[in-house]
Amino acid sequence: MKKYWPMFRSLLLYFLLTGATVVMSFPLFWMISSSLKTVQETNSPGIVWIPAEPTLQAYIDIFQNQDFLRSYFNSVFYVTLALVGTILSIAAVAYAFSRVEWPGRNLVFFLMLSTMMIPPQALIVPQYVFFNKLDWIGTFNPLIIPGYFAGGAAMIFLLRQSMAQIPKELDESAFVDGANHIQIWWEIILPLVKAPLATIATFLFVGLWNSLLTPLMYLQTVNLYTLPVYVSTLFNINQTVQPWPTIMTAAVLTTVPLIVVFFFAQRYILESVVVSGLKG
Amino acid sequence: MPENPYLNVLVTAALTLLFIVASSFGLGALARGVARLRGATPKQQANTFAGYLFAAPWIVGFLIFVVVPLGFSLYWSFTDYRVTANQPPQWLGFENYQNLLFKDDSFRASIVNTLYLTVIGLPLQMGFALLLAVMLNQKLKGERVFRMAFYLPVILGFNTAVLLCWRLMLNTGTGIINQMWRAAASVPLIGYLLRALIYVQEIFSAFFLGINNGKFNLLTKVIEAGFPAENRVPLWVQSPMWSKMSVILLMIWGCGAMMLIFLAGLNNIPKELHEAAEVDGATGWQRFWKISFPLLTPYIFYNLVVGMINSLQIFEPIFVLYRDNQPLVPSAISMVYYLWQKSFSHFEIGYGSAISWVILVFILIVTVIQFRLQDRWVTYDVY
Repeated sequence: MKKYWPMFRSLLLYFLLTGATVVMSFPLFWMISSSLKTVQETNSPGIVWIPAEPTLQAYIDIFQNQDFLRSYFNSVFYVTLALVGTILSIAAVAYAFSRVEWPGRNLVFFLMLSTMMIPPQALIVPQYVFFNKLDWIGTFNPLIIPGYFAGGAAMIFLLRQSMAQIPKELDESAFVDGANHIQIWWEIILPLVKAPLATIATFLFVGLWNSLLTPLMYLQTVNLYTLPVYVSTLFNINQTVQPWPTIMTAAVLTTVPLIVVFFFAQRYILESVVVSGLKG
Repeated sequence: MPENPYLNVLVTAALTLLFIVASSFGLGALARGVARLRGATPKQQANTFAGYLFAAPWIVGFLIFVVVPLGFSLYWSFTDYRVTANQPPQWLGFENYQNLLFKDDSFRASIVNTLYLTVIGLPLQMGFALLLAVMLNQKLKGERVFRMAFYLPVILGFNTAVLLCWRLMLNTGTGIINQMWRAAASVPLIGYLLRALIYVQEIFSAFFLGINNGKFNLLTKVIEAGFPAENRVPLWVQSPMWSKMSVILLMIWGCGAMMLIFLAGLNNIPKELHEAAEVDGATGWQRFWKISFPLLTPYIFYNLVVGMINSLQIFEPIFVLYRDNQPLVPSAISMVYYLWQKSFSHFEIGYGSAISWVILVFILIVTVIQFRLQDRWVTYDVY
């Protein structure tokens, strides 16, 4: 009996882990399965695991839905624009905190870390009034511009930690060769922190792609809706029968980019979260 | 500014970049000037310039998007300011805070709900996270695939689309979860267990709803109704007694973030401790409770603080799950949801600012208390 214990133990573990995986992935399975059903099947009192006759009707319909396509474009557009500026500014600030000695650095760094305690929602009210004064309600600006000022203290911290590990001799020899800080930042340091940059880009992408609260506050017209806002309007209280296949089709198409990005970046994410002890 | 929304934001973004570059060089030059006056060497002057140049985006952003807004909201929180009104804000003193803390039922509901999620949701979430972490820590082959599967819900968790899928699954009559529940309940012993679960959950929930409105008639009703009938199922998105449980279900599904923290903790435990205990004849169970668990307390503590702060900020699940059933919102409302409701559907900026400041102070207090308490029960030895 004792001899078989290790084998039995790992079999049991695999069984439990597989079970947990099935449970955790079930919503995804159900999303895909429901997107291939008819409205009757999604509202039927019996369980339809996989539709007997899968129909792509919902997919065909949604690709002719102008509002959906536009919201998809809006999401891609705003996320890209926000991502580029945010990453660039974070990379610059992390450089200042890790590779340059300047008076006041510790104080500014401490201030930056303490902003992590401020919940972003505590700022939304005054920021709304501010953007209202600038006449930015009903534009993409409030979703994009704040990020350009190195939004995200946790991300700066993560990148700073990686940059601080690069040996000092690298920049010193570059200085001797006559390079300046901007060249060192762009040509030496940034190429060395590609992996943490990818991690940060992934976290930022996920946050922006999922974001509901700010787009809901600022975008007010259907033309500007991003995916989460538009998808939430598909589920409407006033409809007697909810068009679940359509909603789930939109859901599948919304989650595909997230899953693709996660698949490629998982090896960085799963490690960096552990290293920095941060939540994504 | 161009009318086209895409061009408009592109132009604004370009102007912002120009502004940032200009202010960076400005700040850098200013700092270098100050350094020169103080008699710094040329090398130090150059470094001062570069430091402020690169840090300027954050410094400027901090002033524009954090310091100034916080200052204004502190001022507005003492006034009756509304965005829609044209007259200047009237000074109210502490009236907003008094109403909020002592008279406002919705705000009290949000506190009680946070308490419920902390007392009932967090232990469940952390329990599952710890269980998964311990299983993954056995270093089986293919551990990475499982780890990915458990973390994926964290990435997807708060997307509206995914939440709508949960809305579909949680439907009381036709939702898949209750369909499976019914199937499981038809098995004799399991059925009894499931009904007991419903009973216990409803008693807890009714008790917390009772704390909220000061009347415990719902609790007595639940207890008087006695053990649930055979055909009872959870009323996930239908009853105020279940609305928080649906949120807890989502929290458990998204336990992957906590799991990673626990995995890091388990990895940091010196192997020698386990080996020595094994030599002394300790069982796996004993080793977990006597070695791993005490050494994991800092990580449990971290997850507790983060989890509690997160539960104040729950927004998307409430928005998506209970939009079609407004009477349910108070039973699940979080502080941030209430803040949004007050500020942006009623445009009461003064009152909303007061809520923001209470949330801010609340989070600071929680963090400080937790850091104080951790000395008492957290084990940091061995390291």
